[in-house]
Amino acid sequence: MPDLAVSSGWSLTRRARILSIIAALGLLAYFGLGLRLADLLPEGNGADLVKDFLAAAFRPAFTYEATGFLPEHAPPFLLKVAIGLWNTLVYAIAAISLAFVAGLALGVLASASFWQARPAAFGLVRWPLRFLLTAMRSVHELLWALILLAALGLNPAAAVLAILIPYAGTLGKVFSEMLDENDGRPADALHQIGAAPLQVFLFGRLPRALPDIAAYTFYRFECAVRSSAVLGFFGFTTVGLYLKQSFENLHYREVWTYLYGLILVVLILEAWSAQLRRRFVV
Amino acid sequence: MLRWSAWAAVGLTGLAWSISDIDFADLFSARRMDNLERFLVRATPAPLREGAAVVEGESTLGSWTMSQLQQYGYDGLLATLCISVVAIVLAGLVGALLGAFGARNLMSAHPFVPHATAGHGDCSHALDRVAAVVRFLCILLRAVPEYIWAYLLLAMLGPNAWPAILALAIHNAGILGRLGCETVENLSSPPLRAMSMAGATRKEVAIAGVFPMALGRYLLYFFYRFETCVREATVLGMLGIVSLGYYLFEARAHDRYDVLLFLVLLGSLLVMLADVTSDVARRWLRRGV
Repeated sequence: MPDLAVSSGWSLTRRARILSIIAALGLLAYFGLGLRLADLLPEGNGADLVKDFLAAAFRPAFTYEATGFLPEHAPPFLLKVAIGLWNTLVYAIAAISLAFVAGLALGVLASASFWQARPAAFGLVRWPLRFLLTAMRSVHELLWALILLAALGLNPAAAVLAILIPYAGTLGKVFSEMLDENDGRPADALHQIGAAPLQVFLFGRLPRALPDIAAYTFYRFECAVRSSAVLGFFGFTTVGLYLKQSFENLHYREVWTYLYGLILVVLILEAWSAQLRRRFVV
Repeated sequence: MLRWSAWAAVGLTGLAWSISDIDFADLFSARRMDNLERFLVRATPAPLREGAAVVEGESTLGSWTMSQLQQYGYDGLLATLCISVVAIVLAGLVGALLGAFGARNLMSAHPFVPHATAGHGDCSHALDRVAAVVRFLCILLRAVPEYIWAYLLLAMLGPNAWPAILALAIHNAGILGRLGCETVENLSSPPLRAMSMAGATRKEVAIAGVFPMALGRYLLYFFYRFETCVREATVLGMLGIVSLGYYLFEARAHDRYDVLLFLVLLGSLLVMLADVTSDVARRWLRRGV
């Protein structure tokens, strides 16, 4: 640790330098946006809304808040919450399962270790694949949804596709890094005893990266649940759609029920993945 | 646990696919293909399209591009970038605090000294509880997606940049807080234990020991989240906050699909730029802070 040495005079250490650069950029952006701290305090309508909305947090709805206007076949409120959450999960599961397959294929093809025996071929596919992966994930899932909606119309498969494309890009990039970063010695040993390049990869590289790959996929699944919830704002029948409708009707207690439901789902997934990680580490 | 999880994952996937109404074949139905054809025509930049009404001064692809950039492009890019920078700085500060107060090894009567709680049982117990609450708070903050935070905050704070900034900051503070906890808990403890046993208080250990030791790794996470912040900031505008997303949504509302695609492309260039910046910053950090 070279920077344990005390810096003399006004010369800034590397650490202080990077923190001041970040702070300066933050301030620059703050003034660039013309932000005012006063705008953080809601006024008039906003203040009433904040009061009502926060008060509703302590008494989430268990039945519809609306009286009289209910459509005839409306399911009981809690069932509707459950349906919304289930749909959210369905889109997320469908998207992540396809993204995993696509991401694994792309990740393997983009990793240097897969092409170890044929560096020339790797040179050929490396940059196009990297560009493809970057392009896929540089467009946000909501923008993919916007484009797909405009191009194809409202369709559940469009929601799955919208999540699938950027997630496959992210998974592919991270998988390829995981494959390349893990310890290469078992692979080398396999090579020494005469295994074919494909065998070296399949039995020397892939198994060692699998725990990381599984853990990361699980984390992205949690993200996919959130993305799927937000897609409801675009008309898909996930929890976001119902939350938005309730908020527009000023039924804040219903909004909180949806929020708590979503949080509960994430908490369950979190507990599950924490258990898994403990298993991997020990 | 592992086998059980694997079966649960396979079962859930099968269940989701079998009883959902997701039908990829429908995406290729004749009706959708007609729709796609119309979309592709309108997504072609106006000057390249036959029979399109061309605005004066936008008759070539070059001049059309420049005109779009001047009308919305530059403003949108700059606002998106500024929103994400302010948000990530806020999230970084809050996340660092959450990380310190959520780390189990720091939040003890004798920080980094295992099994040395004799005589401090109550104190350690209270600190443990604070740490547990902080870690739970981190999960709560990040469980709700940025877009929903922004939607709710927009109604309360009105149409300025704050709802987008706060939404990004809240969600990312939760994530950075959790990563911060892990960073502190994974620190090599001998030097910190030495400080603690030499009589340094918790605050002193945190400021003089944990902060410099954890900063490098924490900044790695900070830059990684910055990249996702930029990506997210482009879409938050769709709620009506001025960023790239705002102009995007306007373009869609007016059926200007050529402008829509142009702005999506512009946004993805910004994200790629943030990607490269964050990569460079992280590589620089790995060489040692």
